[in-house]
Amino acid sequence: MKRYEVIIVGAGPSGLSAAIEAAKRGIKTIVFDENEKPGGQLFKQIHKFFGSKKHHAKIRGFKIGEELLKEADEAGVEVVLNATVIGLYADKEVVVRRGDEVSHYKGDTVIVATGAAENMVTFPGWTLPGVIGAGAAQTMMNLHGIKPGKKILMLGSGNVGLVVSFQLLQAGCEVAALVDAAPKIGGYGVHASKVARTGVPFYLSHTITKAHGEDHVTGVTISKVDEHFSPIEGTEKYFDVDTICMAVGLSPMSQLLKMSGCQMEDNPKKGGQVPITDEYGETSVPGLFAAGDVSGIEEASSAMIEGRMAGVCVAEYLGYCTEEEKEQILAELKEDLESLRQGMFAPANRGKEITETEEGIAVSKNLLQHGFLTEKEVEKYPGVVHKVGVHPVMECTQNIPCNPCQDACPRGCITIGENITYLPIVADGSKCSGCGMCVASCSGQAIFLVDEDCGDGSATVTVPYEFFPIPEEGSKGFGLSRNGEKLCEATVVSVKSVAAYDHTNLLTMRVPKEYAMAARFFKAG
Amino acid sequence: MAVKNKADVIIVGAGIIGCAVAYYLTKKGKSVIVLEASDNIGNGGSSRNGGGVRQSGRDPRELPLAMYGIEKLWPGLSDELGVDCEYHKEGNLRLGKTEKHLEILQGLTERAKACGLDVRMIDAKEVKQINPHLSDEVIGASWCPTDGHANPMVTTLAFYRKARMQGARFITGEPVKRLRKVKGRLREVLTESGDVYEGDFVLVAAGYASRKILGTVGVDVPMHVELMECLVTEAEPPMFNQMLGTAEADFYGHQSDHGSFVFGGSSGLELNNKDEGAKNSPGNAAITAPCICRGIMKYFPELADAKIVRTWAGYIDICQDGVPVLGFVDDIPGLVVACAFSGHGFGIAPAVGEQLAMLITEGKTSVDISGLRYGRFQAKI
Amino acid sequence: MNQIVDRSRDIGEFVPQPDDDMLVCRCEEVTKGEIRKAVHDGMWTITEIRRYLRTGMGLCQGQTCARLVKGIVARELGISPAQLEPATARSPMRPIEMKVLGKEEVSDTWQ
Repeated sequence: MKRYEVIIVGAGPSGLSAAIEAAKRGIKTIVFDENEKPGGQLFKQIHKFFGSKKHHAKIRGFKIGEELLKEADEAGVEVVLNATVIGLYADKEVVVRRGDEVSHYKGDTVIVATGAAENMVTFPGWTLPGVIGAGAAQTMMNLHGIKPGKKILMLGSGNVGLVVSFQLLQAGCEVAALVDAAPKIGGYGVHASKVARTGVPFYLSHTITKAHGEDHVTGVTISKVDEHFSPIEGTEKYFDVDTICMAVGLSPMSQLLKMSGCQMEDNPKKGGQVPITDEYGETSVPGLFAAGDVSGIEEASSAMIEGRMAGVCVAEYLGYCTEEEKEQILAELKEDLESLRQGMFAPANRGKEITETEEGIAVSKNLLQHGFLTEKEVEKYPGVVHKVGVHPVMECTQNIPCNPCQDACPRGCITIGENITYLPIVADGSKCSGCGMCVASCSGQAIFLVDEDCGDGSATVTVPYEFFPIPEEGSKGFGLSRNGEKLCEATVVSVKSVAAYDHTNLLTMRVPKEYAMAARFFKAG
Repeated sequence: MAVKNKADVIIVGAGIIGCAVAYYLTKKGKSVIVLEASDNIGNGGSSRNGGGVRQSGRDPRELPLAMYGIEKLWPGLSDELGVDCEYHKEGNLRLGKTEKHLEILQGLTERAKACGLDVRMIDAKEVKQINPHLSDEVIGASWCPTDGHANPMVTTLAFYRKARMQGARFITGEPVKRLRKVKGRLREVLTESGDVYEGDFVLVAAGYASRKILGTVGVDVPMHVELMECLVTEAEPPMFNQMLGTAEADFYGHQSDHGSFVFGGSSGLELNNKDEGAKNSPGNAAITAPCICRGIMKYFPELADAKIVRTWAGYIDICQDGVPVLGFVDDIPGLVVACAFSGHGFGIAPAVGEQLAMLITEGKTSVDISGLRYGRFQAKI
Repeated sequence: MNQIVDRSRDIGEFVPQPDDDMLVCRCEEVTKGEIRKAVHDGMWTITEIRRYLRTGMGLCQGQTCARLVKGIVARELGISPAQLEPATARSPMRPIEMKVLGKEEVSDTWQ
C-alpha cells in the first residue's frame, strides 16, 4: 500500500484546482481520473464563460482546462488517467483500478471531486437509441467530432440545454425545438436568445409524451402540460427528428462519499444526495473533503473555487500552511464564490419568482417564455440606447455576475457599476470606435454594434457570428429577427476575425434602416 | 404511559425469522405486530447471505429443522407466498482440493448420514459430471442431492408481503429499548421513541441486537458477531444450479435465476474487521472482495472474466456453540427467543417460522428443537 | 435517526396506468408498473424495491434509474422523494472483472 498526503479523485475543474493549491505548498499530490483525458467537463465547453476576469470570464471552457492542466503540471501534481477509483474505505483507503490490476492507497487526506451525472426523464420510447443526454451529445460533438444526429429535439431549457442546443447548431445539426415542462426558461436569457435568433422555436409548459420509432428514434410527440405537469389531451405536436437530447439536470456522483460512511443528506437544492460538509467542503470524516458538483450542482467556475478551498484546507490540515494563511486565503476565495453566487440565478434564488431586475425594470416575460425580447421590451434596458453613428447595443436584461464588457472597451464606453450583477450601461459622452471588442467579449453574445442611420436609408448591424461557413463580404442574405424570422434583405459588409475576438467573428450586415433595432442575425440567402 | 398498541404476539426484528413467524401466526388467525429498528425489512443477515438451503454440513441439533423444511416447506413456498423465491433443490457440492480437505468432508458426511441425510463422498470424476465447470484442482467433494439454494432477499420480502396481506402490522424505524414484565409475565415492548407495544407473547429475533434487548430482562445468549462479505457478478449464461461450498471455506455461493453469481467469503480477518459503513448498512473491508475472487477463480477458472458489479457486508451472529437459540425461556413466561443463527439461518428460516408459530399457539413443536434451547450453556469443567 | 413508518398505513389501491409497461430500470428491465405494484406489496423503501425487483442492481448500479425509481415510489406513497433514503453505495464503483479485482498490486509497505 502506498500512502499519499492527499489523494484527489477526479481531474475535473475542482479536482485540479484542489491539487494545484495542495501541490504548490509542497504536498505530494496525486489525482486519479477514470477518463483517458483530464479536465472533466471543461474540454467539452467550447463557449465563453461568464463572470469576472478572476473567474476566467470570456475564456472558453477548454482553454480554462488547458490553463489548469498547465498550472497543475508546474505545481508538480501527479495526474493518473485511466485510473478508476472503485472504492473509498475506512481510514481513507482508496482502491484504484489501473489496467488489469487494482492498487490500494491510503490518503492522510482525500478530496472527492467526482462531479455529477446526467438525469433522465421517462416517456414511452425513452429507451430507444437516439434518446441521449445533452452531455453525451456534447462529448460526441466537441471531443470526438461526431454529429449526434441530423434533426434534434432538446428537452430542457436550463443552461445546459441552451448551450448544447447552440453547439448542435454550430455543429451543423438542425434543432427542431427546445422543450421544457416548466413555464419559463431555466437558463440565462442571453443563452436562450442566441438560440432563438437562429429560428429555433421554444415550447415552454410542454413535455415529451412519446418518442416514435421501432429500433431508433424517428419522431417525437410533445404536449402542453397543465399546472400539475400533466399532459393536456389534444395539444399534441409531432416533430420529425432522429435524436432527442435530454438536458434535465445533473445528480451529484456522491457514491464514493456515501460508501466512506460520511454523513449524507438528500438536498433537492443541491441536486440530490450530497455529503454534509462545512463551508469549505470538509465532510463529517476529518480529512475527507468534497469539492465541485459532487457536493452540490453548480457551475465550473464555482467548482474551481471550491477545489481551491479544499486544497488550502488540506494544506493546513497537514501542516503545510498556517491557520492564519488558510483563513486569509479562504476569506478571499469565499468572497469570489459569493460574487459568483449573486444575481437572479443565485442558488439562494432557486425556485423564486423574480419579476424585476436589481435596477427595478420588469423582467421580459417574452424572454422567459419564448427566448427572445420583443422590440418594445428591449428599449427598457439601460444597455440599449440610440445614438448617432456606431454604438453598442447591449441586450443584457438579467442580473448575472458577469462584467467582461466593461473592461473590453478601450474607450470606457461601457460601465457595469459597483455590483458585478448590474446591467451594463453606455457611459455618458463616450465615443465608440466600432472596434467590436465588446461584441466579442460578451459570453452571452448579447452586444451588437449598430449604426442606426448610415444616411442612405440603410443601417449596419454587427452581430457575433460563430458558425461555418463564414459568409463572404458582399454576399446577400436575410436579416433575421430576435426569434429568427426573416425580416429583410441583408448584405454582408464585413466579417472581422482577429485573435483578440477569440473565434467570435464579427459580421456586419447592411439592412434597411427601419430594421436597425430588429435585425439580430444573418442568414445566407 | 398508555399502552398504544396491542396484539397477540409482538415480534422484535423483521428479518426472515420475524417475517416467517409473522406469516405463520397470521395464517393461524393470530394478531401480530413486528417492530424493526432499521428502515428496511430484512436489513440484516436475511438480505446479505449467500442463499444456501442446505442440510449437509449442519450440526445434528439443527439438522432436523433443515430436513423438515426442505421436505415440507421449501418446495411449495413460492406458490404459498405468491412470489417466486427462486428455490432450487439441485444439490450441494462441498469441494475439496487436498487429502486434508477430504478428511474434513468425510467427517461431516458421516455425522449427517447418521442423522438419516442422503449425503455421500464423491470422487473427482463424479464431481466433474455434476459440475463440468470446476477446475482440475478439485479432487473430491461431499454431495447432498436434496440441498439447494433460493433468493434470500426475495424470500424474506415474500414472507413479509404475505404476512402483511394477512394483517400483520410491521413498523420500521422503531428500535426497541427494553422488554418489560407485567405481573410475572413478559408483556410489553418499549421502544426508543417512547411507544409501548403489548402482547401475550414477545418473540425476540433481532440478530445480534437480541443480546442487548434480552439483557433488559436478564436473559443472555452467548454470541459474538463477525462481519462477512459477499459479492455478485453481472448476469452470465446459465452454468450450473448446485449450491457450492468448500472444505477450506474460501467461498460459497450459487448462480441465481437472474444469471448473476452470488458468492460469499472472507479474508480471514473477519473477527476484527472495522465497520465504518453508512447508516443501515455495514461497510466492506478493502481486501476482502479481492481475496474472495482469488478463491473463486481457483475453482472456476472460466469466471475470471465475469464482472463484479457489487460487494456488500453483513454481520453474522455467531453462537458460542455454532447453532441458534430457539424457543421459550423457562423462567420468563411469554418470552420466545430466536437468535444466534451463526450464519446459517436462511435455509431453516421457514421451518423455524412455522415451528415457533406452533410453539406459540400450541405450546409445542412437531420438530425436536430441544437441542437448541436457551438453557444449554455450561462452563467447561 | 431512522423514521418510524407503520407499513399498514393505507396508501390506496393499485390503479393501473397507461404507461405501466414503460421500462424504468434498463439494466434489469423493470417497468414502472412493476415498481408501483411492489409499493402496494409493501416495498416502501428504495432498498426494499431493489431487493424485490433488482432495480438499480445491474451494470450501471442505478446511475440512470435511481432518481426515476425514487420519484415513482414517492408518488405512490404520497411523500416527497427527499424522504426516501437513497440506496447504499457499494464498491466497485464500476463493474470489474474477477481476475482484475483479484489481482492486487503487491507491496511490502503495508500501512
